Amino acid sequence: MSGNAETFPVPRRRDGAARLGARIARDPLVAILSAAILGIALCLVLVRPSPYLVNAAGQLAAFAILAVSLDLVWGYLGILSLGHGLFFAVGGYVCAMHLVAHAYAVTGIPPDFVQFMGWKTLPWYWAGLTNAPYALVLALGLAVLVAFVFGLASFRSRVNGVYFSIISQALVYVAMLLMFRNDTGLGGNNGMTGFSLLFGWPMGSPGVTLGLAVASLAALAAVLVGASLLVGSRTGRLMLACRDDETRLRTLGYGTTRLKLGIWCLSAAIAALAGILYVPQVGIINPRVLAPDLSIEIAVWVAIGGIGRLGGAVLGAVLVNALKFWLTAAMPEAWPFILSGLVLLVVLALPNGLLDLAALRLKPTWLRGGTR
Amino acid sequence: MAEAPGRLIRLHAALLGLALAALAPGTAGAAPERPPVDRPALAAALCGPPAVQGQAAEALIRAAADAETADLAWAGNILRVLTERRLACTDTGAVILDRPGAAEGADAATGASRPAAGGRVPVLGLRQRAQVETALGVVALLSARDPEARGAGLAAIERRAAGVPEAVLARAETAEADPGLKRAIMQVMQAAALSSPDPARRIGAIRAVAEAPSGAALSRLRALEADPAYGADPAFRAALDSGISRVGRAIAVGDGLAVLYNALSFASILFMAAAGLAIIFGLMGVINLAQGEFIMIGAYATYGVQELFRRLAPGAIDLYLIAAIPVAFLAAALVGIAVEALILRHLYRRPLMSLLATWAVSLFLVNGVRVALGTQNLQFRMPPYVSGGLPLYADFIVTWNRLFAIGFAAGTLALTLLILRATPLGLDIRAVTQNRDMAGCLGIRTRRVDRLAFGFGSGLAGLAGVALCPIYSVNPGMGATFIVDSFMVVVLGGVGTVLGTLVAAIGIGGANVAIEPLYGAVAAKVIVLVGIILFIQRRPEGLFPARRRR
Repeated sequence: MSGNAETFPVPRRRDGAARLGARIARDPLVAILSAAILGIALCLVLVRPSPYLVNAAGQLAAFAILAVSLDLVWGYLGILSLGHGLFFAVGGYVCAMHLVAHAYAVTGIPPDFVQFMGWKTLPWYWAGLTNAPYALVLALGLAVLVAFVFGLASFRSRVNGVYFSIISQALVYVAMLLMFRNDTGLGGNNGMTGFSLLFGWPMGSPGVTLGLAVASLAALAAVLVGASLLVGSRTGRLMLACRDDETRLRTLGYGTTRLKLGIWCLSAAIAALAGILYVPQVGIINPRVLAPDLSIEIAVWVAIGGIGRLGGAVLGAVLVNALKFWLTAAMPEAWPFILSGLVLLVVLALPNGLLDLAALRLKPTWLRGGTR
Repeated sequence: MAEAPGRLIRLHAALLGLALAALAPGTAGAAPERPPVDRPALAAALCGPPAVQGQAAEALIRAAADAETADLAWAGNILRVLTERRLACTDTGAVILDRPGAAEGADAATGASRPAAGGRVPVLGLRQRAQVETALGVVALLSARDPEARGAGLAAIERRAAGVPEAVLARAETAEADPGLKRAIMQVMQAAALSSPDPARRIGAIRAVAEAPSGAALSRLRALEADPAYGADPAFRAALDSGISRVGRAIAVGDGLAVLYNALSFASILFMAAAGLAIIFGLMGVINLAQGEFIMIGAYATYGVQELFRRLAPGAIDLYLIAAIPVAFLAAALVGIAVEALILRHLYRRPLMSLLATWAVSLFLVNGVRVALGTQNLQFRMPPYVSGGLPLYADFIVTWNRLFAIGFAAGTLALTLLILRATPLGLDIRAVTQNRDMAGCLGIRTRRVDRLAFGFGSGLAGLAGVALCPIYSVNPGMGATFIVDSFMVVVLGGVGTVLGTLVAAIGIGGANVAIEPLYGAVAAKVIVLVGIILFIQRRPEGLFPARRRR
């Protein structure tokens, strides 16, 4: 992942448990956010607010994980993926398949789409999905595999910048068209819904809702800390170097393709994790998660929160989606205008997103080169 | 009357003989004089028993080819009167009533007014009704003024084509002025000939059917394979086999042409949607995700022009599509220039941010139109030059709306090339595209060029909106349909080259349309997009990499 580091070693710092805490503390925002997230999880367990709030907190956490996964490649590698919804959907679909297969195995009632297509049983690729660890491995593995193939082909031929964005958008669009077909054995345009059981417990009960929300929040905290460790590490510095001047880094002898590919696959796995956590909380998955607009929206969360700051991605995702939850119910007509206005405001006036408002950080060099 | 049915029938038979003699085709070749129909005899026969009624109708059908038009009209009238139960049969002859059950009417033969009291109103049996209806159809086909009535007559004949002599159809065919109806008559003639008992005539008919190939002709010939003659008569078999293979080949060619034509029209739409994108992307490196919405603005401007014509000049409303061309261009161009001036000019050298900004603009425009004008599809009036089509070969029909789009795209291409190659603005655009800094050093106001080029590119999208109106449904979300496809065209063609865009549009459109019949529309899109993604891996600069600043 770190290229030809052995041939061209960079000065190493001493590592150890003591450094870990110091590294996390280097980005105080991440430290504060992780603590706050764990605090919220604890509050949920102790206070037991209404299931709606618990569920909303869990969904927001899943979105925040998704935003972190995109920020990792966009903010730190300069690769804007407009197809991250694909990896999210891979995680979500495999999770939904597990839930459906599990409910089928327990209750013996075949899922709706199987009856609808007139099939007797589930297609062969559903085999073994009742097993949760296998489903988890399949979800992450599949996302990484797709990301690997796509990333290998793109990075090797040095498809960069806007080109990569467009092509990744086409990829997610293709996936959407495919999933809209009813003969995929994955629910077609209706998707999958009506999950009844999670590990044998009834879905929708307060306990399960709480468990899912707490798991999502814990996962978010873990992903946030892990990602911040990554970007604070030597690999993280290579990522920044690659983002700012890939040609120079390559000239210096680092294998940027391997670096980018590794981070890209990691990001895909994190996005799939977000999907896995999201689907049981929202109770449905359908091809609309693969709509190109949704993938752009992920980038919008990150841009609004602040590119290149992991905390910014979390804040952006939480803020935009909380607003969306509230406004799509309160005044659905106004939401698209508010969203587009927010994007324009951030893009024109706050190049580092809302974090600029807090003046927590100066403009990074790569943005200062702008013409404003 | 009832006491002497035998005598009555004899009487009628005699009358019928008279009528037939009068109606019989003039065999003398020298003078094609049309023998008059013996009106009283026919009227009397229609008053007769069912068998005689039927024979009279049949006789009329046989004689119709040589009858006077006036006679035909008279015969048609009395037959219709008969079916409507307004024919009263008195001892002194048939009387036509104005309405069923009237006490008085006009004499069938002379037209003189006379009482119908005590007259019997004959009722047609099922068999006779069919015969009379066929006769009515023959009369309508030969004598009706209204093409629709003639068409209805033809439809009536088609149901019992075997009983109608070829001469009747031949006469109708030569006299027919309406081209569509003429073709329909021809087909009925062929169908009748195909089931004729005369083998030579059948083989001739097979040849004739094969002359005008179509899907219908093929199925008609295929149906003959089940005919006993196919197994028994080698000549018939050979003629049929060669006819089927000939029609099959022609249909394949026609279908191929149709695929080409559809591909070309789809490529035209893609080209128009992508041309502006390619110029903007090549010049400024800006991915304009709002391009689809500029197409939508062009389509809505077209609708506005149509409504304006409807209010102010309803007589010239069919011209609205032409009048909309400059309006749609200007509307989209102005919105584009506004977007550039307000937003994008702050974002050069930050292409990913400009991408998000144009997405926000597209979200704003879609929802603005949605809130202001509603989400429903707009209703467009189709002027004659974009509705219908011309059947060209076999089943291949050149539809005018698609031809309009193709011609429109060709015009757009010519306009774009003209502006880029032959105007000062085009020179500036090309200079800035190749080397922005150097162009700026040479005194070109690059920012002004950017703005005008962005307006031009948006205007091209507006033009695409005009061309789409007759083909696609127009609603606020229509732009999203094109955005991914048109980006693929730009990426495949190479940034900033109009000809590359053209080639890529034709390639993508062709591949889409060619794969569609094999695997379905969704699979076609998927295969094409995956193919492009793979292609870009090999040639990231596209088919025609442009010379541009590095």
